[in-house]
Amino acid sequence: MSLLLRTDVTSLKFYKNFILAGIGSFLSVIQYDINRLLQKLHVLKGQKIYGIVPCNDKLLIFGGKQYAVIKYIVNNTFELCLEPTICEDWLHSGVWVGEDRVALLTAHNVVQIWNINQNKLNMKYVSMDNSILYSGLLVPLADGVLVFSGTVFSEVLIGCCDYQITPLQNLKGHKGVIFSITCNIEKQIIVTTSDDRSVRIWTVKNTVSHENNTIKFWKNAMISCEHELYGHSARVMSNCITNDFVISIGEDSGIVFWDFDGKLIRRVSHTIASVWSLDANDKFVITGGGDCALMLHPSSVTSKDKSQEVIKLNLDSPKKVAFTARRNIVTINESNDFVYYDVDKKIETHFKLEHESTFKLLGISNCKQLIAVVDMSGKLDIWIENCKRDAFLSKIVDTKLDIGRILSMHWADNRHLAFCSNNGIISIIAANGNSVEVYAHVILPLCKERWLTACAYKNETFIAGDRCGNIHVFVISQNEPIKSFKHIHGRYGPTSIVIQQNCFVTTGRDGTIKYFSLKPLKYLSSKEFDFQWVECFVDKNKQYICGFQERVFVIYDLLLHNKILEIPCGGGHRSWDITQYKHKTEKVLCEYVEFMYLKSSSLYLERYNLNNIVSKPIINGSHSKVINCLKTICKNDAETLFISGGEDTTLRISTNIGTEFKDVLIYKHLSNIRTLKAVMIDENRYILISAGGRAQICVKILSIEDLSIEEITNYMIKGSDKERKGNNSWRNCAVDFNPETRIMDLDVSVNGDEFIVYAGCSDAILRVFQLLTIYPHDFKLIKEIKYHDTCILKTKTVNISNRTVLISCTSRGIISVFDEKTLDKPIFSTMVHSSGINSLAIKVISESRLLIATGGDDNAIHVNILDLGECRVVSTWSSTNSHCSQVTGLVFADEYLISSSIDQRVTMWRVCVAEHVGCEYIQQVYSDVADIQGIDLVQVNGTSIQVCVFGKGLEVLSLEMK
Amino acid sequence: MGKTSKDKRDIYYRLAKEEGWRARSAFKLLQINEEYDIFKGVLRAVDLCAAPGSWSQVLSKKLRQNTDNVDDVKIVAVDLQAMAALPGVKQIQGDITKVSTANEIIQEFEGSKADLVVCDGAPDVTGLHDIDEYIQSQLLLAALNITTHVLKDGGVFVAKIFRGKDVTLLYSQLKQFFEYVTVSKPQSSRNSSIEAFVVCQNYTPPPGYTPTMANPLLDHKYCDFNEFTGVNRFIVPFNACGDLSAYDSDTSYPLLLEGQTTYEYKEPVQSPINPPYKEVLEMTKNLQINK
Repeated sequence: MSLLLRTDVTSLKFYKNFILAGIGSFLSVIQYDINRLLQKLHVLKGQKIYGIVPCNDKLLIFGGKQYAVIKYIVNNTFELCLEPTICEDWLHSGVWVGEDRVALLTAHNVVQIWNINQNKLNMKYVSMDNSILYSGLLVPLADGVLVFSGTVFSEVLIGCCDYQITPLQNLKGHKGVIFSITCNIEKQIIVTTSDDRSVRIWTVKNTVSHENNTIKFWKNAMISCEHELYGHSARVMSNCITNDFVISIGEDSGIVFWDFDGKLIRRVSHTIASVWSLDANDKFVITGGGDCALMLHPSSVTSKDKSQEVIKLNLDSPKKVAFTARRNIVTINESNDFVYYDVDKKIETHFKLEHESTFKLLGISNCKQLIAVVDMSGKLDIWIENCKRDAFLSKIVDTKLDIGRILSMHWADNRHLAFCSNNGIISIIAANGNSVEVYAHVILPLCKERWLTACAYKNETFIAGDRCGNIHVFVISQNEPIKSFKHIHGRYGPTSIVIQQNCFVTTGRDGTIKYFSLKPLKYLSSKEFDFQWVECFVDKNKQYICGFQERVFVIYDLLLHNKILEIPCGGGHRSWDITQYKHKTEKVLCEYVEFMYLKSSSLYLERYNLNNIVSKPIINGSHSKVINCLKTICKNDAETLFISGGEDTTLRISTNIGTEFKDVLIYKHLSNIRTLKAVMIDENRYILISAGGRAQICVKILSIEDLSIEEITNYMIKGSDKERKGNNSWRNCAVDFNPETRIMDLDVSVNGDEFIVYAGCSDAILRVFQLLTIYPHDFKLIKEIKYHDTCILKTKTVNISNRTVLISCTSRGIISVFDEKTLDKPIFSTMVHSSGINSLAIKVISESRLLIATGGDDNAIHVNILDLGECRVVSTWSSTNSHCSQVTGLVFADEYLISSSIDQRVTMWRVCVAEHVGCEYIQQVYSDVADIQGIDLVQVNGTSIQVCVFGKGLEVLSLEMK
Repeated sequence: MGKTSKDKRDIYYRLAKEEGWRARSAFKLLQINEEYDIFKGVLRAVDLCAAPGSWSQVLSKKLRQNTDNVDDVKIVAVDLQAMAALPGVKQIQGDITKVSTANEIIQEFEGSKADLVVCDGAPDVTGLHDIDEYIQSQLLLAALNITTHVLKDGGVFVAKIFRGKDVTLLYSQLKQFFEYVTVSKPQSSRNSSIEAFVVCQNYTPPPGYTPTMANPLLDHKYCDFNEFTGVNRFIVPFNACGDLSAYDSDTSYPLLLEGQTTYEYKEPVQSPINPPYKEVLEMTKNLQINK
């Protein structure tokens, strides 16, 4: 029984007030206005659902070589009314041609008419052209069925069903395989998408007046490619025609809205994974992707949901702009003009400054009510904005500071201003009534560029970041920092610092956010983004982070793990500001952001209603590619944690509560992650070790209570790029003759606070590392075992009678057993499989005997009893016919052995161990997860065993013990 | 990424360049031959879906060893796309689902039939595994269909398959045409890849079977869902092939292999011609120039 299934979303349909989603062989019924999963219906057998075709209360569901019919009954439920029926060939399209008849188009260009009441094939129309189709479409006409066939030869054939499929038209132009065809009879357009990255809109015209839903019309029609459109950077998988748009989706995760004149109206992203399926109604577009996500996008044109104005101020060349608390605008120029602009009333208030220097700085406090302007000589003015009634500014401070040449000014909170002058001296000034006083001095430690880029102050703690990327923590009574974190944010320095309860967060132009704890004062972890310039948090809840990706301003949602807004503005070097607020209009609470920037002396102000543009997940996404390794931790009865690493180079920690699966933490590796281990160190904490490509090993401590992470080490066997290259430019670097190895698998032997980590590598070396799990953490290579000849695929340790034994398996099918004390040579080695060993499970069965189960690339499962005293295999059992593809997962649970394979079958065996070993076949079940990479035991629960298989998605299966 | 990193990551990619093969897949056919001796006595061979031509290269090199007179060796390479010419290999640019192509092949053999048909064709994978497996099986069946027109009785057929969830269906279809069918995995094919090869020996079509192109061969279907899981499924015999001393495609090797003293980077032997994304690449290239 499937308890949880997350895999590709391959078909979608709006039906009544539901979203119907084909996920694996199940149809999920979601009521989307309340975002609730109502029902999960098992429709097809061992086959993904690729099509959902409603007709009144009946829905045709098809995929692969099967079709079935479900029926909508009252109370928001659906039931199966025709069990899956097998057709002889793959189905591309289906339509209803009567109350009880459906027409199905197969991949060899054959139309089959089935009677669903008798479950009988009534009729078959074949085509002269029967080469393989990549896509197809059936459209019912008044007098027949129109057949569109997208061939492997880049053509779209149009035909109709007579006694056979009579060809009517042939559309040529695409340069690659046709992936999708849609047609709108009323609009008389056809839209095709292809491997060649293009979307083509074809218009259908006819000089003779026939009804456009007749075969005559289509026979004599003139069809021409009106628009050849490029908006995707990868293959275009599907498309959809709505009243207003053509919407195309692609492997690049892009969703592109085109108007019927071929103009690109809007481009949004599904997530980062390829998009497989979509549907649209007048309000929304839904997309389903390879990352298991189902996203709901408002079907709107950005320009309708934003207001843009160019404000022409009566001011010569404005240099700096900022939003105030009331979302009015302040701006200064180099010639002593300061303007306050009331946006609603469009009123400018001009102030004349009396500054000597043209180098002027403008700063807004965190509450945005206080506005400070200072020049290089120290002339400081501070205004306050009133809160109620007509907006105006009043000057509260007008003074001259005597702290030398001023290099930078930052508000540290709502009361304290920090000024940086020469030699790294920082003066912290407190606004006290109508005057100011120097509250404290601190000094930045010596560095190349010794000035402040960001700071924050709270409860006697002052945190400063310098231009060399260092972060310094001061207590206000001391000049020197109590702690410095070196090179945290690259060469531009941190862009913002925020102090929270017991932690602080910094952002930088190295594309990261870094998290620190205050007590104890230490670095915790880092979050990476795909845009280099990360500037600051936009909202108080710290859900949105903003920054720049080259010339585009970006807002990223930290909860959705996705970009929600991209505004082309020219880049972050212009003066700009952002503000976010909520506003109730017509009883709906809407969330807005306002963004402004200066461009050629003009002020551009743009306002966005996020409710109308931000895509929301109906089902949360996760890994965009195959999951290579996964561990589950049962946190409590209701909540399970999934820790997974994948081909998409991310390590994800996800929670599953009820039906909601959500990624909470995401960390990036440099390359794919192949293996991970979670070792409990106390009730709340686990050591997580993940490793994979580029010989990278990352160690973290995970607290499962609050799901927080502390990074311990990020280790690369050959050192990081910088360490390797030193100060040489790439040209001067000599060719490194040694390969960069991949870490294929690792396991841990625990000895108090000292862990020994065994890593099997692709260069045939078994590497042994030592890890200290207490402060100061240490991770170092202590030994290399060069015994094997080929790639090591699996390594596992096991404790038996006070000794630790290490077992390794290679791509040549060899198992070797090492004693921890004599690692140079194995105590036992034998060839078990005829090619690579992809899975390994071990069980201690007596003081000197191990049960070793292996599954191979050769489809076989071997179970051996190894006697460690005699160093020989005492008994052996094997099966070569339970799986027809690589066996990639094995796990012992209770008295059972469970195996999983790329063939998407999970087999359960009862293992009988006496003097001999034997396995009795109990059952085999199918999993909708393709490309299964392994299996993990979730829990043994009374009469059933719960396992999680993972690959292209994941599925938790409950297997009854019999 | 340095240009040597691909050489370090994939030993067969590197060896292919060094030995002058157009693709690393050449080693797969060589290793299949080591195990099954499929080239023995073969003079007439067909390479279906031949581009970029590495299997044709192997055939032309190996089959010449079977005879003193090089002119006896006839190799026909068929592909939809044009491929760079190879000496001793006759190219037919055509569709393998057409009778005309079969006739063209037989014409090339002067009326005789082929001793060996190989097919290393694979579609561009979509990322949806069941579709990829289906398309691959259809490609294989199309190859089998034309093979029934051109292969002599007792001949050998070698083709690429994807070992996915329904590989048993394809296997049962092949068993109707050949006495011995084995799924084989050469050492040069990666352990992690679902790719494998079927080696079908002793072609013996069912009694009364007449080759036809009118209807495509379809793979079998599950007669009922009881065959879908459990012990009643077909057993697919599996065999790993390639000498154990051969290089392992999953292992990372140093640039200086055992016994070597120098390493020199080599460019790929043959770069792709006319991919479907060619136009869009050119367009975006121009766009960047115009910026």
